[in-house]
Amino acid sequence: MGRKQNLTFPGGIHPTDGSDKELTANAAIRPYWPHTVTILSEQTPGAACRFLVKPGDRVKEGQLIGEPAAFTAAPLHASVTGSVLSIKEVENLGRRGLACILRREEPHTEPDAPYLREPADLNGISREEIIRGIREGGLTGMGGAGFPTFRKYEGDRPAETLLINGAECEPYLTCDYRLMLEESLPLINGVRLLKKAAGARKAYICLEDNKLPAARRLQNVIEQTAASGIPDAEGHLEVKVFPTRYPQGGERQLIQTALSLEVPMGGLPLDVGVVVSNAATARAAADIVLGGIPLTRRVVTVTGQVERPGNYLVPIGTSAEDLLRLSGGLKAQNCRIIAGGPMTGSCAASRRGGKDGLFYVTKSTSGILALPDTAYEEQPCIRCLGCERVCPAGLVPYQIDFACLEKDFDLCERLYAGECIACGCCSYICPARRELTLRTRLARDTVKQRQRERKAENT
Amino acid sequence: MNQPSVIHGPHLRAGRTTRYIMLHVSISLIPALLGAVYFFGTRALYLTILSVAACVLTEYLWQRLTRTQTTAGDFSAVVTGMLLAFNMPVTVPGWIIPITAVFSILAVKLLFGGIGSNFVNPALMGRLLAMVLWPGLVMQYTPPRTLNADAVSSATVLGAVKTGNEPGYSLLQMFLGETPGALGETSKLLLLAGFAYMCYMGIVNAEAALTYIAAVLLLTFVFGPAGLFTGDVLFNLCGGSLILGACYMVTDYVFVSRKGRLLHAAAAGVLTAGIRIFSVYPEGVCFGILTANCLAGALSLVQKRHVYGTRKA
Repeated sequence: MGRKQNLTFPGGIHPTDGSDKELTANAAIRPYWPHTVTILSEQTPGAACRFLVKPGDRVKEGQLIGEPAAFTAAPLHASVTGSVLSIKEVENLGRRGLACILRREEPHTEPDAPYLREPADLNGISREEIIRGIREGGLTGMGGAGFPTFRKYEGDRPAETLLINGAECEPYLTCDYRLMLEESLPLINGVRLLKKAAGARKAYICLEDNKLPAARRLQNVIEQTAASGIPDAEGHLEVKVFPTRYPQGGERQLIQTALSLEVPMGGLPLDVGVVVSNAATARAAADIVLGGIPLTRRVVTVTGQVERPGNYLVPIGTSAEDLLRLSGGLKAQNCRIIAGGPMTGSCAASRRGGKDGLFYVTKSTSGILALPDTAYEEQPCIRCLGCERVCPAGLVPYQIDFACLEKDFDLCERLYAGECIACGCCSYICPARRELTLRTRLARDTVKQRQRERKAENT
Repeated sequence: MNQPSVIHGPHLRAGRTTRYIMLHVSISLIPALLGAVYFFGTRALYLTILSVAACVLTEYLWQRLTRTQTTAGDFSAVVTGMLLAFNMPVTVPGWIIPITAVFSILAVKLLFGGIGSNFVNPALMGRLLAMVLWPGLVMQYTPPRTLNADAVSSATVLGAVKTGNEPGYSLLQMFLGETPGALGETSKLLLLAGFAYMCYMGIVNAEAALTYIAAVLLLTFVFGPAGLFTGDVLFNLCGGSLILGACYMVTDYVFVSRKGRLLHAAAAGVLTAGIRIFSVYPEGVCFGILTANCLAGALSLVQKRHVYGTRKA
């Protein structure tokens, strides 16, 4: 079968011709510190935090202002130095939730530290210190789901392999690419920290072949690190480049591509000895553990139908409106403003083009994307089987779609709807414009809920 | 009030819609239509226009009357209409066309749920109806007018050989389309040009078409008229409507899983070859494909599917 040589995943699509990334691929990261930031208590839906400050309090950048109140939450830190204006409910992507609004009163100063310029000696830092650091530093996955990073690393089982996800397979986004290109040294230091935290023997930094300059840069830094003479017990570090295809950067697909392994159904990557973290997460880990700076900022790509697309380093809580204004505003009248990439990002349905439906940068917001607001009318399925061909999970989305429309969730379960990764390939390819991803995701959530309930009944 | 508060991705959609696919299938049929006009006269064009109009109008009126989503503009009825006309001889009385068109669109397609939900090919079912009801009218072929022959009815090449006569036409004539036959089936060259266009546009399952042709040719060669391995491959390829069926009928979307499609095409090929070899019918394409359509559900069960994460370690 040659499974070992089979460095790919099934299905997948090429949603664009690559010109989308060129909008911002050469836009160097520019820092932008707004006057006010709105830090959401729920950085991802359901991950609530309890705020520890009250209106009028003075806060310093990096100060703890919220502690987790849910399993999926991570500590929150002030992202600017100034005072708390208010703590109130705001609307963000169609959800109402508590937010802490801070006014910046002092300019941001970027500290200089050796780990930004040279390979760091990690021998004085234990695995436990790293894990405690990334837990208290509020580190979450910065690529998508925003799950607290320490939970992937805290288990007793050491991983065999750490995969650093630099695939950035979503069209339009270039924030990870710029980060890997411009900040490769601290990034590699962060990768080495995460590798130590995972207890992994090898770490692979995985990129797509549309990011070769970044791959070369990272390779140079790895060689520089190896030649630096630091007593380096961390072992094997390698850059891997794969053919560009969406959704290469899906956690499960990346494991399949890089290692020819499949995460068992209902399991975690650690079940096959793998931990996956995003490249930006690794960069932030270096800030937290080596620089003492909690996760208070990130790089965001502002692109699409804006006058001046770019990449910005911004504090968590920066409003999309500010960033759109910074980018010269919208080029077209009817745009939807999407948080994240065009395939898995979301936008508020109300007043899509207006100011109301906007959102605030969270730890996992990788992009602010303005796309023409096109409405589609669903047509009958013509059984072209395009959805089946492109599904990286091996599902038959059109069958799940019908089962879901009939509310037959037993059938959904038999069709493995619970394994949907909501990558969007099926809706993308569908010539009948059916909302396959929407309903397969709904079927997945219902199936998983029912499985949980059954499990609870049996115990 | 029940509007979702947030729109999830994907916010990008492929440019290829149902309408786009069907439009380009229609375009790919134009060379064969021009060939039909050249070989059989302008009546070929009128019949095709009549058939297309009847198909589209049936779909439109039905969907208006039942107040269901209208798909009459998606060109799928145009494709059905063109294929239906292509299956008729130039001498067919005009009134047969709308009757078969209404049957194809209404009874075979719309009553089963419309586009995508029909379990057999509507154009082939329409032809089957006409063959059963008016065999003398729809299976009577005249030689092309380019031959300056008397416009008396004659058998198709396959039919002539089936009854023990000489084909009467050279292989080149068969390939170019200068033989008696239905409007759109005779010119293999022009059908293949349309097929090449569909392949170029990426809107056809070429594997299914080739599997079908290969199955028919292999079996008709092995079980030839004069004993094993005596079949005439090129004659079977170019003599009848095999290429029309392979390019436009077998490749039609039916209820069959992705890998089941090749099996479906192979089954259609076996059935077609079986009819050609063993039955009184010289052609077999229509019956073969329709029977395979009916087997599609069973053939889908054959495929093993791998869902991510279910591989046994």
